[in-house]
Amino acid sequence: MDTGGLSLDQAPPIDIPARFFLTAPLFAIAAGLLLAWQGPTLLVSRWMPGALAATHLIAIGYLGLIMCGALLQMLPVIAGAPVPAVRLVGTLTHLLLTCGAAGLALGLGGGDSAALLAGGVSAGLGFLAFVFPAAIALVRARGVPGTLLALRAAAIALVVTVILGLLLVAVVLGWPRLPDFSRAVDAHAAWGLMGWVGLLVIGVAIQVLPMFYVTPAYPAPMRRWLAPALLIGIAGASVAWIIGDALLGRLLFGATGLGFVGFAVTTLVLIRRRQRPRLDPTLIHWWSAMLSLCMAAVSWAFAAPPTLVGVLLLVGLGVGLPAGMLFKIMPFLTWFHLQHRQLAAGRFDLRIPHMGGLLSIRWAQAQVGLHLLALGLLCGAVFVPALARPGGLILALSSAVLLVLLIGVARTYRRFAERLAL
Amino acid sequence: MTDSIATFMTDDHQRCDHLLAACEQAVSGGDWTRLAEQAKDFSNALLGHFDMEEQVLFPELVAVSPWASGPTGMMTMEHGQMRSLVEELEDAVGTQDADACLGILETLHLVIQQHNSKEEGILYPMAEENLGDQTPDILSRLQAA
Repeated sequence: MDTGGLSLDQAPPIDIPARFFLTAPLFAIAAGLLLAWQGPTLLVSRWMPGALAATHLIAIGYLGLIMCGALLQMLPVIAGAPVPAVRLVGTLTHLLLTCGAAGLALGLGGGDSAALLAGGVSAGLGFLAFVFPAAIALVRARGVPGTLLALRAAAIALVVTVILGLLLVAVVLGWPRLPDFSRAVDAHAAWGLMGWVGLLVIGVAIQVLPMFYVTPAYPAPMRRWLAPALLIGIAGASVAWIIGDALLGRLLFGATGLGFVGFAVTTLVLIRRRQRPRLDPTLIHWWSAMLSLCMAAVSWAFAAPPTLVGVLLLVGLGVGLPAGMLFKIMPFLTWFHLQHRQLAAGRFDLRIPHMGGLLSIRWAQAQVGLHLLALGLLCGAVFVPALARPGGLILALSSAVLLVLLIGVARTYRRFAERLAL
Repeated sequence: MTDSIATFMTDDHQRCDHLLAACEQAVSGGDWTRLAEQAKDFSNALLGHFDMEEQVLFPELVAVSPWASGPTGMMTMEHGQMRSLVEELEDAVGTQDADACLGILETLHLVIQQHNSKEEGILYPMAEENLGDQTPDILSRLQAA
């Protein structure tokens, strides 16, 4: 019998995930400041250079970094399979994605083609440097089947997103010609947001929701079929859309969206049925993310401005949910690693800070409040332009609070690690 | 009563989960007398569960399959981590420090969950497989423990 899953030494060194988590909020701050600087013009259309820049700051700089960092940490635990060469993979992915997000934002926002090319290539390489070793772990894995299926589907979606993204960069730079550029952009966005982000959220939810809040498990058919069905839906929809069958494309996108709404509603029902009634700040992030997901689908169905769908998905789901997860992941990882150092050093005279001592729950609550305010203002700004600047400022502020909290955890870790080494 | 070791032990995990959640509720309610009782119930249940494993289940398992001593040793070490968090919880309840209680309970909750998923996913099935014919005897000793 394989007992690999019991080993405590599979987790990567803490500085690998931590560097992803500590860099990511900088990009959400940058997106907020960009909004505050450009104001309402940014939200006029999704084709505004500022909107494209903010989208990639959040999607690659914030979400991409947090998701890759968290997966490098999670894969060995949930899949029982370590990621090969995790230090090299982590270092490369982190550097390349950071440069990629900055380059793409400069290129798309400032019309600088050299930055666009450099950003596109490094973001593409960064994701590929991550996805191949992760795929090796995912193929070898034998853990929770529902989570694994969703993670595998998300990895496929990431590869397609990157390929389409690189193709779009090439088109913008004037190399190949595409018959319908805007439909290829739609497909890229659908693969990125529904495929990579959406399927990853499903995989993570199946794994952590019952664990964090003691909820019932997701229904078995949903665990088994939802992620593969959504992947097929996205593939069918984007092919139909690109070849110009608008009706079929809309139908398939609608069906896929409905699948995500079904997931969000199930999640809200499961949270209601949780056996751990305590209202912790991360729970509010789950609520607001799932409601944002439902509202994004409804807005799309009723042909609301695409920027509203973008704000709901990128800020409501994309910025909020990972922040909530970091409130648990970062202090727990820190406690976990300090515990092991303590055990190795035999220093039981020193009491290690628990999670509440590492990250203040009150400040986490303040972060959630600021996030909800920013989300509300930015949704409103699609209709009332004057709300755009304050919305951007509050988004930057809530992400700055997140950053300061995470830095606090890292500093406490360092302090105790030094004391344990004495 | 169940006739499966895995089910019996998993049910006991869930009992501990509920008692931990009850402690969190009591902290939020601000009733310190009630919290002290809840914390006592929780720590008795949790430490009792560890005793069942360390005194009955693990030794029996290692006796029939000596290579299980690695995983059971790992689990016993994690019990040690949780025992020291339970001690911290008792101190925090004593000093009526609500924030510390919540932080310690949160830490305990996550440690317990990842510990339980390893036991329920690997160790208990291993015990079921290897201790087949002794199950009734072990179950009655676990219930008596």
